[in-house]
Amino acid sequence: MAYCSSSSTTSASPVVRYLPSNSTSSTTSTFSPLPFRSNRRRSVRIATASLSPVNSPSTSFSGSQKNLLLEVKDLTAVIAESKQEILKGVNLVVYEGEVHAIMGKNGSGKSTFAKVLVGHPDYEVTGGSILFKGSDLLEMEPEERSLAGLFMSFQSPVEIPGVSNIDFLNMAYNARRRKLGLAELGPIEFYAYIFPKLDLVNMKTDFLNRNVNEGFSGGERKRNEILQLAVLGAEMAILDEIDSGLDVDALRDVAKAVNGLLTPNNSVLMITHYLRLLEFIEPSRIHIMEDGKIVKTGDISIAKLLEEEGYKAISTA
Amino acid sequence: MATFTFTPHIASRPTLSSSSKRKPKFNSIKTTKVSLQTSPPSLSDPFVLQLAETLEDSLPSSSLPFPLQKLRESSAETLLSTPWPSRRDEAFRFTDVSFIKQSQIHPISNPPQSSQLSSIPVETQFANVVIIDGHFVDSVSNLTELPNGVYVGSFIDLPSHSIAKRVSEFVDGKFVGDLFWSINGVGAPDLTVVYVPAGCKVENPIHFRYFSINGGEEGSKELAVSNPRVLVLVENGGEIEIIEEFLSGDGGRSYWANPVLEVVIGCGGKVKHSYIQNQSLNAAHIKWTSVQQESTSAYELVEISTGGKLSRHNVHIQQLGPETMTELSTLHLSVGNQTQDLHSSLVLDHPRGYSRQLHKCIVANPQGQAVFDGNVKVNRYAQQTDAGQLTRSLLLEPRATVNVKPNLQIIADDVKCSHGAAISDLEETQLFYFQARGIDLETARKALIFSFGAEVIERLPSTSVQKRVENHIKELLNTTLERS
Repeated sequence: MAYCSSSSTTSASPVVRYLPSNSTSSTTSTFSPLPFRSNRRRSVRIATASLSPVNSPSTSFSGSQKNLLLEVKDLTAVIAESKQEILKGVNLVVYEGEVHAIMGKNGSGKSTFAKVLVGHPDYEVTGGSILFKGSDLLEMEPEERSLAGLFMSFQSPVEIPGVSNIDFLNMAYNARRRKLGLAELGPIEFYAYIFPKLDLVNMKTDFLNRNVNEGFSGGERKRNEILQLAVLGAEMAILDEIDSGLDVDALRDVAKAVNGLLTPNNSVLMITHYLRLLEFIEPSRIHIMEDGKIVKTGDISIAKLLEEEGYKAISTA
Repeated sequence: MATFTFTPHIASRPTLSSSSKRKPKFNSIKTTKVSLQTSPPSLSDPFVLQLAETLEDSLPSSSLPFPLQKLRESSAETLLSTPWPSRRDEAFRFTDVSFIKQSQIHPISNPPQSSQLSSIPVETQFANVVIIDGHFVDSVSNLTELPNGVYVGSFIDLPSHSIAKRVSEFVDGKFVGDLFWSINGVGAPDLTVVYVPAGCKVENPIHFRYFSINGGEEGSKELAVSNPRVLVLVENGGEIEIIEEFLSGDGGRSYWANPVLEVVIGCGGKVKHSYIQNQSLNAAHIKWTSVQQESTSAYELVEISTGGKLSRHNVHIQQLGPETMTELSTLHLSVGNQTQDLHSSLVLDHPRGYSRQLHKCIVANPQGQAVFDGNVKVNRYAQQTDAGQLTRSLLLEPRATVNVKPNLQIIADDVKCSHGAAISDLEETQLFYFQARGIDLETARKALIFSFGAEVIERLPSTSVQKRVENHIKELLNTTLERS
């Protein structure tokens, strides 16, 4: 018995040890000292590629160095309260540096999928698996998922009266620094850090002193979500309808900010109804979701077809 | 589960202007002041009688200035017919004061010995008054930098006869509160006076520090009672800021602080009042604040109460002329087995008054309780009154209790009045938003709870007091939340 349990711990430990070192750094160098990881990754990649024969990505998918970031297998989930099934077996694979988009009708499960990924308490996972950077995401608390490098921008972020935006960001940023074993930043140091980021989302300074999302317009809320992304950073950013309720200028600002944050290692998963956003942030793959499943994967041409002929064209295709 | 009761009362009674909440049958029979206080003409309550006697005996009867003597006599007379309140009295339905009755009550008859004064910390920031166990102690107060004509000190030492005469008009005023008001009237050893002459705007706040140094050891049945009494008289156009701070004293001593503060504000005058109650968790603290506002005067109260086993603040505000401005903000925090109670009554009798009341409480203990009874009366001539009232409670533990009773009584027909009440736990969606940004649940909870109280704390006019209160509340919440 004793032997048995000790051997199982050793086999699990590389994964555990590997995690923090990866999340500490957003630069590319992290992976070179761990060659065995990329070997393993590559084999996984081949396996999963065969699961989705539809795709033929035209953009940057040449390097065999690519690491697997997110792997969702047969994910099913229900609404916690009513037990109504929303996700009915979702499969998705995202590699580092890729931009994916999920499209689909209202009620097809896109937002639920995004919320399940970050551990929203309204939903209960009933089956399947989610691996993020090799770790089992479903075993992690929402805050651990965030600290591991997963970020979701909320479709309609909640108001938090009495907590100023800058205090909130400072708290979140310090939680990250604590995780990395760095000293926390005081309000003044943090102000110096955050001030330049405001330009990214084209916001004025007084934005920081207002309470989180309180009385914010739709556009301001979206900008605020992207500001949080800019401050906290993320290896995987899930943008849930970041374009809804935005005018063209605001959309351009937000898209510019997102593009500015993209690096060869960061991935983005966008959820949207419109081609317009995809013209600003170009995805390498587009997935169509229908009734809790991804039913089709392809390149930008799918989105164009959708825009012209609606979902009927996809279903019948 | 957490429990609460919510009884909003919006009554419109064009004929009845009595201040009694009793059934009309008493109103029709009795019209004297005393009858409004008591249940049917009753015999004296032996416990109250004995208490009144003990208090009287503890104080020297001679050498009292006439107005104070008069106050003592009229208060004693009222006590004769006032029984000790029980849960059957509406005003004490949710506030159990039997713990005082079951204790051995000792009056504190002498001012503190000089050897006891060494423990009083020196305060250098503001002009300050130290009141120890109800006695004003000149030697540790600091009142050197008051503007010309402003007086702060004992009634006996009032320098000018004309001011003494003016102050005397208000010492035994028309307003009579409940039993505890009268107990203070009998037991107050002295009257501390703040006098602001007409047109004088006092720039710096006057800081009242109340200490309770006598008291039974933790767990004993001894209760040392003190009855500090302060009168603030601001003549027409005068302005002043008062900070009242009731401090805890050493450890968890048991004592009963029974203070009264009266505020009289002349036409166009302005008083900002901060009241911070941080007494021992084994203490009873029952306070009265009575305010009279002449026309176009302004009164702002910010209360933060966190201490006491039983803490009750009775506020009575009477409008004497049109266009007054009144703002009341309260934060009650119950982190232990304690009751925090606010009974406020605001009476508007003149046109174009403006009032805002915000009451917030956090109950973070299964045995903790908060009580709020907020009455706003808009009488017949108080047309174009703008009155708003809001109470919000946060219950953080199962079985934590709050009883709120916001009530508006409107007789005038051209008014703008609003009230609201909300009772909740922390919002799940808000907590998740913190978590989704990497902030752990405990930190998120603390931030949300603190922000709930911050709305009131931010209204304290003095930033240094604000900072101190903020730290104290954070400390209380930290220890409570970590324990749970």
